[in-house]
Amino acid sequence: MELRILKYFILFLGIITLWSCTKEVKIDIPGYKEQLVVDGRIETGQPAIVLLSKSNNVYSSTNFQSYLNSFVDDATVVLFNGTQTDTLTKICTDDLPPGLEQVAASIFGLPVEVLVNLHLCAYVSLNMVGEEGKMYTLQITHGGKQYNASSKIQAPIALDSVYWKPEGNFNDRGFSWAKLSDPANSSDAYLWEVKYLQDGQFSKTFNPYFNDKFFNGLTFDFAYENPMSFEDTTSNNPYRGFYKLGDTVVIKLSKIGLKEYNYFEKKYNQIYSGGSPFAVPTNIPTNIEGGALGIWVAYAPWFDTLVCQ
Amino acid sequence: MKILLSLFIIFFSVNVSAQKKSTLSGYITDARSGEALGTSRIFVKELKTGTIVNNYGFYSLTLPQGSYQIEFRCDGFSTVVREVSLLQNLVINIELEMAIQETKDVRVTGKRSENVTSAKLGQMELKMDQVKTLPAFMGEVDVVKTLQLLPGVSSVSEGGQGFYVRGGGPDQNLVLLDEGVVYNAAHLFGFFSVFNSDAINSVNLIKGGMPANYGGRLSSVLEVNMNEGNLKTLKVKGGIGAISSRLTVEGPLQKDRGSFVVSARRTYIDILTKAAISDTSPFAGSGYFFYDLNAKFNYKISAKDRIFLSAYYGKDIFSFKDNNGGFRVDMPWGNGVSSLRWNHLFTSKLFLNTTISYADYNFEFASSQDEFRVALTSGIKDYTAKHDFSYFPNPQHRIKWGGVYTYHDFTPTSLSAQNDTIVFNTGSAQHLYSHETALYALDEFDLNDALRINAGLRYSTFAHVGPFDRYIKGDGISTQDSLVQYDRSDIIAFYQGLEPRFSFRYLLPDNSSIKGGYAYNYQYVHLVTLSAVSLPTDIWFPTTDQAKPEQGFQTSIGYFRNFSKDRYEASVELYYKGMKNLIEFKEGALPGDNVNDNTDNLLVYGDGWAYGAEFFLKKTEGAFTGWIGYTWAKTERRFPDINEGNIYPAKYDRRHDLNVVGTYKLNETWTFGASFIYATGNTLTLPASWYVQDQNLLFQYGPRNSTRMAPYHRLDLSATRYGKAYKVKTDPLTGQDIQVKKAVRSNWSFSIYNVYNRLNPFFLYVDNDGDFMSGDFSISVKQVSLFPIIPSVTWNFEF
Repeated sequence: MELRILKYFILFLGIITLWSCTKEVKIDIPGYKEQLVVDGRIETGQPAIVLLSKSNNVYSSTNFQSYLNSFVDDATVVLFNGTQTDTLTKICTDDLPPGLEQVAASIFGLPVEVLVNLHLCAYVSLNMVGEEGKMYTLQITHGGKQYNASSKIQAPIALDSVYWKPEGNFNDRGFSWAKLSDPANSSDAYLWEVKYLQDGQFSKTFNPYFNDKFFNGLTFDFAYENPMSFEDTTSNNPYRGFYKLGDTVVIKLSKIGLKEYNYFEKKYNQIYSGGSPFAVPTNIPTNIEGGALGIWVAYAPWFDTLVCQ
Repeated sequence: MKILLSLFIIFFSVNVSAQKKSTLSGYITDARSGEALGTSRIFVKELKTGTIVNNYGFYSLTLPQGSYQIEFRCDGFSTVVREVSLLQNLVINIELEMAIQETKDVRVTGKRSENVTSAKLGQMELKMDQVKTLPAFMGEVDVVKTLQLLPGVSSVSEGGQGFYVRGGGPDQNLVLLDEGVVYNAAHLFGFFSVFNSDAINSVNLIKGGMPANYGGRLSSVLEVNMNEGNLKTLKVKGGIGAISSRLTVEGPLQKDRGSFVVSARRTYIDILTKAAISDTSPFAGSGYFFYDLNAKFNYKISAKDRIFLSAYYGKDIFSFKDNNGGFRVDMPWGNGVSSLRWNHLFTSKLFLNTTISYADYNFEFASSQDEFRVALTSGIKDYTAKHDFSYFPNPQHRIKWGGVYTYHDFTPTSLSAQNDTIVFNTGSAQHLYSHETALYALDEFDLNDALRINAGLRYSTFAHVGPFDRYIKGDGISTQDSLVQYDRSDIIAFYQGLEPRFSFRYLLPDNSSIKGGYAYNYQYVHLVTLSAVSLPTDIWFPTTDQAKPEQGFQTSIGYFRNFSKDRYEASVELYYKGMKNLIEFKEGALPGDNVNDNTDNLLVYGDGWAYGAEFFLKKTEGAFTGWIGYTWAKTERRFPDINEGNIYPAKYDRRHDLNVVGTYKLNETWTFGASFIYATGNTLTLPASWYVQDQNLLFQYGPRNSTRMAPYHRLDLSATRYGKAYKVKTDPLTGQDIQVKKAVRSNWSFSIYNVYNRLNPFFLYVDNDGDFMSGDFSISVKQVSLFPIIPSVTWNFEF
């Protein structure tokens, strides 16, 4: 809801900038300090994956090498689930175990053929996978400092149903629809991801995280566009965002905690506002203690299959 | 017996020496129109004493009985001197004629500067004829823009209409239009004020030493007084400009008894854009316009009673359509203000003004894309009643007392949303009701020839009442949200406070004086903003059980001096202001966060302070007039929940502010104007670093307001060509040439805004382009500027 409002404000900003003048300037921006960035997740049945990097001065070099150099591979990462402790194993792209190439490509956002020639590392819990109901505490030691974060895998929420229907003037193109009965006695937050049946990794839409502020306890239908259609550059423009009649799509609705949702809400707010003066310049609130940026999040997924017919 | 006789002689002597007094009173008006001259002064030559009129042109002087030479003065008018034999109470109403001004050496007879003698500290008055000669943005003469050229008054941003006074926020200025409160005095996102210059008579800004009869705001009072209407003859005037036109009609309802004035103004930006956008364009139907309507009626019921009815209504309507994308935005907002006033003279010494007024401000943002629709509304309704007594027991004292009551009905934000047939649960619109009252008493008195004191006390109260729903947020894990419901009869919170006010003026030799003052204020209504740029989406919010009243004090001292027979006025003023319970949205707040929640649950509170020095030099007479104003100032904030509790500069912290304004009257035909402005750049918060999470580029902002934009400076020029006011005709009786006043008089006003095309920053943002893989990724800071050089022309007429 707020993101739509913000989107309209940003469009409004665009109107003003249509008849204004824009130029690049160089001014003093104080307040930079290098911080560790944590990008960590765990979900039911999957190991924890943690990426570490560093923040960069806004005026620092932005070439590809600088981007690669920002990744951190000299930390110690430990995971605790209440009963067990696992020190995460560092796995690097120039020494990937067979079968993990596509996983690594989706994590780093780089093609496999490029990745295998780079030294980028992730920390993976080879001795622990996510279990519903457990609280996962992450502890990172780097540069003489320690960082901690906790997140719980909650009980997943099942979709009542998923379906497809043609949109507008099209007979064979439409969005994915779902019916959800939101629990009334709790505040809930979700992540929506999809993939074609044959794909390895899930994709997110532009606005994949939402909470039940406006529909707490309600049963309602909602639609999402097809994010894979935006990645496919061969798609015809008129069909961007739609699923085709006959597509088979795996839908993954994951439940997340409210503190974690707060991170993503503010994150997408920042992405959409794009530095607009109409938005409050807000730092994204992390759930990591110790002065790091980023997020440690536990997901509780529910899967469903949609055949577009 | 001897003792009794002695006592009788003493008593008789005392009574003889306690001379009998009588009161001289009346109204001072403009001879042309009959309108009150609210800045007139009365001077008694023999006693070297005098008084000033009130806003309604009424004066009262109680003097020992005798004969006097009384001078009646007003700036821009010829002084009238009357020999008065005051042996009983007398009523003398005076009509002043406009002063005759010679081309090269303007002599405004009867002028006596108030700069030195007045006890008013930090007060500035503007007359509309002065404002109209200055360069105007897009040809629109604007009183608030002119105020921003004075020391201690800053604008919000490029073109911004909101103004900051001595480090206080835009909500800390009480804006009154004929005693009705105006909440958002801006059109077109702040580029123009709601005040149609043709409808306005005078503007008075009090930025320091606020007397006790004003309150409710921490920083200043801006009193805008509408024209009353010509009591003598029907007049029409107007103007056709580049983007707007205006028309004013005024005249008598009954000659010398009652009059009316109606003014209207409308832009035609929508008509121009409609012509530029074809019907087949995807943006067809987009446009913007605003309009103002001012009306005022007044009538003298009797020699002791007069009523005034004033009304203002204005609206901005912005709409944008992208027909291809099925997207539409409509954003209407506007003010309605009305006031009914009754002046009553109990006696020649006791004057009463009773006012009832109504203010209605509302804003809406409605947007739709295909079947998704969202609407955000915000509004305020105020119902006010006040009594103001003025008592003039003798020339040494001017006593005022009174009270005011306001019933507030706020709707801070109301959100509704639906997608096709699904209506989202956004909660019902929250109303916040409250009662605000104040009582005051003050006396301005002369302790001796040199020392004048204005001392007063104001007592204010505020009660937040039901019906009201208080949302108590749980953590969503162990505690759930809950609701406390209050009924109409419930008093949810009550606040009260004393507000002492004090100012003095001490006359020094060499036509100079020292003035100083102290004021303590409570403020019960607040403006909270979500953006770095002032918008109509800023939310007005009342004090509640959570949001405490803002409190502040201001102390100031100044040295005032006139030179060269009052041709030059100069002053230096120092001030310090402390504020507490200031209000901001908490970090991370989003519009719509208060759905199923209270807006004040999103607020955080802190302190602020401001201090500075203002230097002012003004030339008041001659072909060339103008002023130079320079302010050095600093204003900071400290909020425990913002910026990690560290002190940070306020959004409108400006270290240096320089304004140079001049008007040159070449001859009867041409008058030229110029203004130059220099100001330290506004503060803002920009990202100091970037990082990547889940392949998204994200930013980490530096300390709040730690970045400063480039300095703002601009030169504006204007030239006004006046048509001849008189034409030569042959007198049929004498055959001689005589001058006859033209029925229609007009002038052309040419203006150039931003003469040297300076690209002043409106806002800055951090932009990114490309991607890492391609090797063309870049991050840069971009500056958006709004107004390049803009010429404009306006044709003004009057008949």
